Amino acid sequence: MILAGVDIGNSTTEVCIGECVGREPVRFLSSASVMTTGTKGTPANIHGIKAALTRAMASLGRDVSEISLIRLNEAAPVIGDTAMETLTETIITDSSMIGHNPSTPAGAGQAAGTLLSYEHLDRAAESVPYIVFASASSGYEEISERLNGLSDRIQVVGMILQADEAVLVENRIHRKIPIVDEVARIDKVPEGRQAAIEVALPGQSVRMLSNPYGIATLLHLDPQETRAVTPIARSLIGSRSAVVIKTPNGDVRENVLPAGEIYLDAEHPATISLDEGAENIMAAVEGAGEIRDITGQPGTNVGNMFSRIKKGMADVSRGDSPAVRITDVLAVDTLAPVLISGALAGETCLEKAVGIAAMVRTQQLPMREIAAKLEEELHTKVTVAGVEAVMASLGALTTPGTQLPLAILDMGGGSTDAAVIHKDGHVVITHQAGAGELVSMLIQTELGLPERSMAEQIKRYPLARVESLFHMRLEDGEMHFVEESIDPRFYGRVVLLTPDGLVRVEKDIPLEKIRQVRRDAKKKVFLTNAERALRKVAPEHNLKKISNVVLVGGSALDFEIPEMLTEDFVSWRIVCGRGNIRGTEGPRNAVATGLVLSYAGERK
Amino acid sequence: MISRRPSIFIYASRPDPDFLREICAGIEEEGVFFEIFRREETDVNVLAHQAAEDSMLGSGIGISGVDVVLQIRGMRVGRNVEARHMPTFEQCRAMGADSARVIKKLGLKAAD
Repeated sequence: MILAGVDIGNSTTEVCIGECVGREPVRFLSSASVMTTGTKGTPANIHGIKAALTRAMASLGRDVSEISLIRLNEAAPVIGDTAMETLTETIITDSSMIGHNPSTPAGAGQAAGTLLSYEHLDRAAESVPYIVFASASSGYEEISERLNGLSDRIQVVGMILQADEAVLVENRIHRKIPIVDEVARIDKVPEGRQAAIEVALPGQSVRMLSNPYGIATLLHLDPQETRAVTPIARSLIGSRSAVVIKTPNGDVRENVLPAGEIYLDAEHPATISLDEGAENIMAAVEGAGEIRDITGQPGTNVGNMFSRIKKGMADVSRGDSPAVRITDVLAVDTLAPVLISGALAGETCLEKAVGIAAMVRTQQLPMREIAAKLEEELHTKVTVAGVEAVMASLGALTTPGTQLPLAILDMGGGSTDAAVIHKDGHVVITHQAGAGELVSMLIQTELGLPERSMAEQIKRYPLARVESLFHMRLEDGEMHFVEESIDPRFYGRVVLLTPDGLVRVEKDIPLEKIRQVRRDAKKKVFLTNAERALRKVAPEHNLKKISNVVLVGGSALDFEIPEMLTEDFVSWRIVCGRGNIRGTEGPRNAVATGLVLSYAGERK
Repeated sequence: MISRRPSIFIYASRPDPDFLREICAGIEEEGVFFEIFRREETDVNVLAHQAAEDSMLGSGIGISGVDVVLQIRGMRVGRNVEARHMPTFEQCRAMGADSARVIKKLGLKAAD
């Protein structure tokens, strides 16, 4: 007879087709994997299950109707979700600074003067230093001619341009002055105010304006005002050019948002403030023992964050909110570039933020409902068999070179699960919050990407920089030459090497930065979680008592996570590596394989 | 001994003067040198190809009337990096900038 094991996961649905003849061991025929349709554990999954079954059978040249038994996993009633909240906020009102990196500012040095619109040049007083700003409606030829004509009468010490013409103007004027260009919101520049301008020497970044005392020197600030401009100085660090405008009575505020407290309803109840950072939150979670539920202080960011997660989960699982409990969280510190309100050239400021993944326990998922529906549609016997983690362990055991007792680490999209299967067959399981989706969220936040899908791709694929139309430099430093010239759209850009060809990273972020953020995000989530999860299931909670760890699940397919874990576990002398289910499937298909195998076991 | 300064070559055949001016402004803003040569050849693809081959920097622009083509050394005739018929002034400026950005290994403006 032909039977199928079906594993419905948070992000993929996997099937394994096997054949059982008499008392012989199961023969595996094929497998397939498709995107899960709908939320895990809901009848919407049926569509994906049927697609996966059809694909697996089609590869054998057979029809789905030939399957005589389908076994579904008893999916763990836990679903992962993520949220992000910024803890600080910089508000700069009344447009008091411009700090950005136009590719070609001109001149070098710094100066201070009164802001004057190019249209009002004729109103300029003698022997007053001016910083002139001009909109894109005036061209470089006109501007330079006019300035040269007036150069004996009025004193222009710096310029701010809307158009990308700084070098063109600089090349045509007689006096050399710093010029900042590509300032989009030139209309917001307040005329008549005192301002300081700085353009750094090639290869350097601004020095005076990224230093509070530098600003104080140029704009004659008192100690109080100097304190007030500190956030400006900080956000200008690393810029090639900058303008700081003196505005009356402190228009810059750095707000510390009321982050709120997290309440742990647990064996040892605890309360911890979000401000204390990820490390302390995780220590509190660790010390709390068995957690019944986690809530946030009402009316605060964290309170809203937790209630949003619960509400979302209650909606999909059709349960009541009280039945939805958060039983684990993983908190990660991060920095988010947030657009400064009042920015003139799209400036951002790095704000402190915390990312949280929550493990939501719902009521038992309606797997039997799915089974009944599937049975009706396919006219095939469908049973719900076996606990997910046990099935995964069984499947993982088909990896060549493994033995009992064996630990598995199932790294999926929503959660990191661990299980230890002992020689007597008894299994210890844990589910931890935080996995692939949290990594994507961290990448998206830290790089300030507009879309999650870009972050997903950055997580998945290695980077390269296209250096000519015939070669690129890969992120490991290697050069790669191509036969056919690369599309000029990719020229000089950072790209992702995906199986479907190159994908451009739309934002102008250096390759090194992207790589750093990607690797850090993976380490923050997976190294922390792997240790946390294994410690929970290890005999006497001692990692040294585990000898073999097999990595399974979607995130084990990642091109660098398994290596990171393998390296990390060396210190506990644990043999750790990516699983290779049935010696052919890699880290995928463990649960589906386990479901087929367990049928054979039950018959005996 | 190199006696010429490294520059982008512009091979021109009865070019539209406004287009030519904007292209030059685009190159100048990026801070790269350029030289303009008048040519008999009228095929803009060939002009650009030859300009790129002859330029020490390997970047050339061909302009014939109102057709503008950006090429780099090593590419076949007609397999252009950018090509435009009747470009706007802004596009001319961007093509000039791109001929310089190709050398500086920066992303091209036309790609945005």
